Amino acid sequence: MRRISTASLMSLHIVPIVFIRDLSKLYRQGDINIAALHDVSLDIASGEFIVLMGPSGSGKSTLLHIIAGIDRPTHGSCRVQDTDVARLNESQLADWRNRNVGFVFQSFNLIPVLTAFENVELPLLLTGLNASRRRQQVTTALNLVGLGDRQDHLPRQLSGGQEQRVAIARALVTDPPLIVADEPTGNLDAKSATDVLEILRNLSQQAGKTVIMVTHDPKAAAYGTRQLHLEKGEIVV
Amino acid sequence: MTLGGFILKNALRNKRRALLSVLSVAVSLFLFITLQVALRELTQPPEDLGSSLRIIVRNRVSLVSPLPARQLQVIEKIPGIVAVTPFTFFGGLYKGDERFTSFAQFAVDPVRVKDVIIDAKVDDTEYASWVADRTLCIVGLDTARRYNLKRGDRMQFTGTFFPCDLDLRVAGFYHGTADDRTVFFHQRYLDEALGNPGTVGCWWARAASPEDAALVTARIDQAFANSSAEVRAETERAFQLGFISMWANIKVLIGSICTVVVFTLLLVTVSTMSMAIRERFRELAVLKALGFRRRELLGFILAESFGLSMLGAVLGAGGAWLLYRNLDIQKLANGVFLAFEVTPRMMGMAFAIAALLGIFSAIGPAFSVARTSVVEGLRTLD
Repeated sequence: MRRISTASLMSLHIVPIVFIRDLSKLYRQGDINIAALHDVSLDIASGEFIVLMGPSGSGKSTLLHIIAGIDRPTHGSCRVQDTDVARLNESQLADWRNRNVGFVFQSFNLIPVLTAFENVELPLLLTGLNASRRRQQVTTALNLVGLGDRQDHLPRQLSGGQEQRVAIARALVTDPPLIVADEPTGNLDAKSATDVLEILRNLSQQAGKTVIMVTHDPKAAAYGTRQLHLEKGEIVV
Repeated sequence: MTLGGFILKNALRNKRRALLSVLSVAVSLFLFITLQVALRELTQPPEDLGSSLRIIVRNRVSLVSPLPARQLQVIEKIPGIVAVTPFTFFGGLYKGDERFTSFAQFAVDPVRVKDVIIDAKVDDTEYASWVADRTLCIVGLDTARRYNLKRGDRMQFTGTFFPCDLDLRVAGFYHGTADDRTVFFHQRYLDEALGNPGTVGCWWARAASPEDAALVTARIDQAFANSSAEVRAETERAFQLGFISMWANIKVLIGSICTVVVFTLLLVTVSTMSMAIRERFRELAVLKALGFRRRELLGFILAESFGLSMLGAVLGAGGAWLLYRNLDIQKLANGVFLAFEVTPRMMGMAFAIAALLGIFSAIGPAFSVARTSVVEGLRTLD
């Protein structure tokens, strides 16, 4: 198992954002414990575009979920910025996710009864911003993904690529430091996939966001600044 | 967008289902209110002052057994009695309405009855003409309106209880009593038609005060104890309550129907809400991932369920209130019901039921969403 240490990142003047130490995740299936992750240690620098690859069941999505605060480890610690996400209770974790993590899913997961604008606005309803500030931020996020002219469209009126771009706008509208993407191009054609990957790379390179993406596609993986391969719950490369 | 707007859009995302849910609550609560109103109308005794002063004297053996006319002299001398009149139920069928006549006809002493039924208001001229002519009758205003009767009109009744018919003319109209439907005519007219049998159906008397009534009834009973026609005297209110006690099983039946209606409604609403939430499990997991907490998701589900139930209550209970307020229930129910009043208590009950439905039907889905992790929720989508 290899890892890039905090010290080596510091020596490169890169600020680390994710610190993972001895992380394990066990699932209980009947009387048997199945290890989804086994003693994983990993540091991720701010602004990195990390790609997690590996066969199905290798633990890449589990690792992504733990970093994003939607799953909990069985052992070990996962610190994002200065917060040990495993120690937060449900309510604190929800607040933390709202402020620090943007999610992009394979199946877009937009709310079908809301317009593109309203879907992007959704996370901002929890922030206490007034309507005009929310409008400003939503418009900026939609313009950033090239959908400023589709604000009033419902998800069913958009193509798959456009839906995924709305999902990216929703992920970055709260300006979180971390964007997690679980196979974001899995349901897209080649052209749309390229558009989405370009946006994610720009978010990392130009906006300084830390992007962690799970994918099976080597072409998509090539957009990352670093690729990590998982097998049987361990990082192998 | 506001959170309220978000909840509204979710509630109306499947418009047909939302409409059917609202209608199921509305129709059930409409039925609930209707049953409650019917029960109230059937079981509510008159509560005016006259009913606590009036005393009904009937044959101890049975209500249908007559009493000797000679008892009048004894009853009117009993201390505490202000007035007394014969009161004989005729039970005839009104010509033109032979199938079912919804109003009663009573033979009375026209002079004495005025001091017994003190709440009835009659025009003096009409009353005087009625007293003067034994073939005339006084008609309750509700019945007069229903049959469009005018002074001088003939009212013919076919006897079902007595072996004679009545051929009366309308002298005038009365109003102001709890039931302005009855037709009053002369006891003397009935006596003549029956060949002067020397009997009456009952006696109606008036006590000097409600406090005297209990003592007076005891005195009347005592006056005829061990006679050939023993009597049972009771206040009109007690008499009505005795009648109402015969409805006991109806009350249980209506109560049971109401319970079944509410319980079925609960099952339907819970099922609908569960279905609506199950379809949205993945979206709720996404909302959790975006930072919405359990209590906020519970709030969404509760608000949606509560909103639909309350809308149903507004339509159902409000609709019943509006309908029964403007409906001529006497005409519709063939005179069985005098009024069909939806009381504030019934409206309160209907809205309380709707509120509880909204809350109970949200509990299951909300609990299910709360205990499901984001990852489990997201897995349902792929």
